Amino acid sequence: MVRVKSRYLLCEVNVSDRTRLLLLDDRAVAETVKATVARIHGDYGAAMCSIRFSVKYLNTHTGIVFLRFPKRCYKLLWSALPFITCIETRGQKIPCFLNCLHVGGTIRTCQKFLIRYNTQQLHRMLPKCKNEEEKQQVRKAILNCILPGGNKQDEDILESDDEEE
Amino acid sequence: MKSDNKKDEPAVFKRVVSKNASPYNYMKVSLVLEDESTRLTAIELKQFIITGLKSLYGEVGAALSFDLLKYDEDTLTAFLRVSSRGLVKLWSSLTLLGFYQNQACAFRVLQVSPFLLALTGNSRDLQLD
Amino acid sequence: MSAEPQRTLRSLLVSERSSFLDDKNRLSAQVQQHHLNYKVSVLLPECSSAPSHLEAALNSFSTFYLIRKLPLYELLDKHFLETAVYQGSVYGLSYRSRIDQENCVCLTPNGRLSLSLDKDSYELLGFEGKPSCLTVYVSVSLLVSVDLTDSCMAPGGRGYQRLLKGLTSRLRLQVDFLLSHPGGGALQSLLSRYDWSEHSPEVSVRSLSHLSCPALLTSDLQSCDPHSLLEWLGAVDADVSCENSSSSFLSTLVCPEPSRTASQSLSVTVCGLLLPKDVLRLVQELRCYLEQSLQVSWVALTVHGFTDSPVSWGDSEHGVVTGGENFYTLLLFQDQTYQLHLRNSQRPCGGLDPRVETVTSLMSFLMLRFKRLFSS
Repeated sequence: MVRVKSRYLLCEVNVSDRTRLLLLDDRAVAETVKATVARIHGDYGAAMCSIRFSVKYLNTHTGIVFLRFPKRCYKLLWSALPFITCIETRGQKIPCFLNCLHVGGTIRTCQKFLIRYNTQQLHRMLPKCKNEEEKQQVRKAILNCILPGGNKQDEDILESDDEEE
Repeated sequence: MKSDNKKDEPAVFKRVVSKNASPYNYMKVSLVLEDESTRLTAIELKQFIITGLKSLYGEVGAALSFDLLKYDEDTLTAFLRVSSRGLVKLWSSLTLLGFYQNQACAFRVLQVSPFLLALTGNSRDLQLD
Repeated sequence: MSAEPQRTLRSLLVSERSSFLDDKNRLSAQVQQHHLNYKVSVLLPECSSAPSHLEAALNSFSTFYLIRKLPLYELLDKHFLETAVYQGSVYGLSYRSRIDQENCVCLTPNGRLSLSLDKDSYELLGFEGKPSCLTVYVSVSLLVSVDLTDSCMAPGGRGYQRLLKGLTSRLRLQVDFLLSHPGGGALQSLLSRYDWSEHSPEVSVRSLSHLSCPALLTSDLQSCDPHSLLEWLGAVDADVSCENSSSSFLSTLVCPEPSRTASQSLSVTVCGLLLPKDVLRLVQELRCYLEQSLQVSWVALTVHGFTDSPVSWGDSEHGVVTGGENFYTLLLFQDQTYQLHLRNSQRPCGGLDPRVETVTSLMSFLMLRFKRLFSS
């Protein structure tokens, strides 16, 4: 069996004002990526971007995006991502930049990476808590969020991550 | 004297084969315009080619460095030099350049070679009549 | 396949260093191997006018004939075979037929008649050939190579009859033919039947003042990179200015470093159907010239082959449309050593042409255009 191969780019959207992340939607991100690729790589890049490119997942709370590119040309399209400076959505311009965290062959590997990454972040941030009470709060929040089904796990950790800040 | 020469002989002969090592490719192109009285300067031509690169390959394509070695304003024929890796980009954007200032135009690629010398000795230029 | 279109043309450059004093130097054999020469250009740095013996050599290239609408079977004429082909002194090539579009013919002094034919003509001729390396680009192209000195190709032989029949009844090929002078009255009867004209090679002299040329050029191959040296020679030949800076907009071509300025240089070109023996004579004269003039350390000689000849070196094909031009450059030095840079593509077959890639990159572009068309 042969399957059509893709590359999934796990990116985080960095903004100065985190509340504005909630304004984002899949379509806005996809349009921005397409427009930037067309600017940087011209019609050739835009054509490459017109087949099998999609925004697979967007978490507006944490600003995590999965982008799917065809495997053949993902490097070319990837090279245009640093040139994104703002995303336009609902008539507003959100100044931001994309930071690519991981490149994977399947969504599963990307998810695994994301869980590991977020755990790491949590471990890094926990010692920064000012007092014992704050720590307890964070722990409690995490325990509250975790559901028995493993699937939502990553999101939940992310959310707790959010709260901490 | 003779023996001296003989001693030198093995050191003198040397053979080096370089494969696909040429750093540049050269193109001989001519521009055909709908209105034949239109004249372009060398700078306009290079700018025109750059706009073609920009529309097909974007800002990255427009940054491709190529040289306009020689340009004949009467026949609109030019020698271009481009790094070997950029040849396909340049060639394809030349192919797709269809309009110059709202008039139809086309680039004819007359000859392409990894050696500039080859462009100067094209036997198809031989005129015997 | 990568997304970045960046395939390059195949190129092969053979650089050799040897000495005329070396008994085993193969220069004359190599020059003889390159049968059909179109252009010879000589660059004499630090020279305001060529000495008389050199000028004489440049002006005494053999004349050649252009015969119009020559039916090919005339080349199988018994008298012609006996007086010209068997003597091994005749060079011929079809004139103004483009090898990637039309049928081409050439006749080399080793008695070989080579025909580059399209599929229809090949089937009409009915003579065995092999696929030519042009096939990748032209729909189908075949190379038929016939050794006229072979015993079965002698007049009356079986092969001879078959080829003659093919050329007279089935495939009546008529070409404008360039033919060298084989000496004697060999061509008289042939010429009397057709429209012909005699041409002498065209000599043009250009004097170049304040030419910057590479200093420290020695016979050592490492003294100057062959590619940049050939690029510079090409720039001189094409009259391209090398006086550029790295920041100039139009061109950044410069002479290989270190360079010095030669106040007065001479570039001489000869065009036509040129014979290897004349080229060899010119090489001898250039050696004499170098011995006599002390301030000149080197001279360069470049010989171009015909683009549309079915064969280039010896009996091998050259891939005309894939940058398979054939030329060689000879650099002669004061100490009787020489550098020879051969440009040949004896195996141009296979590999993907940049054009193919150009087409693929254009296709993705067209796809986009169609999408836009339908959405609007």
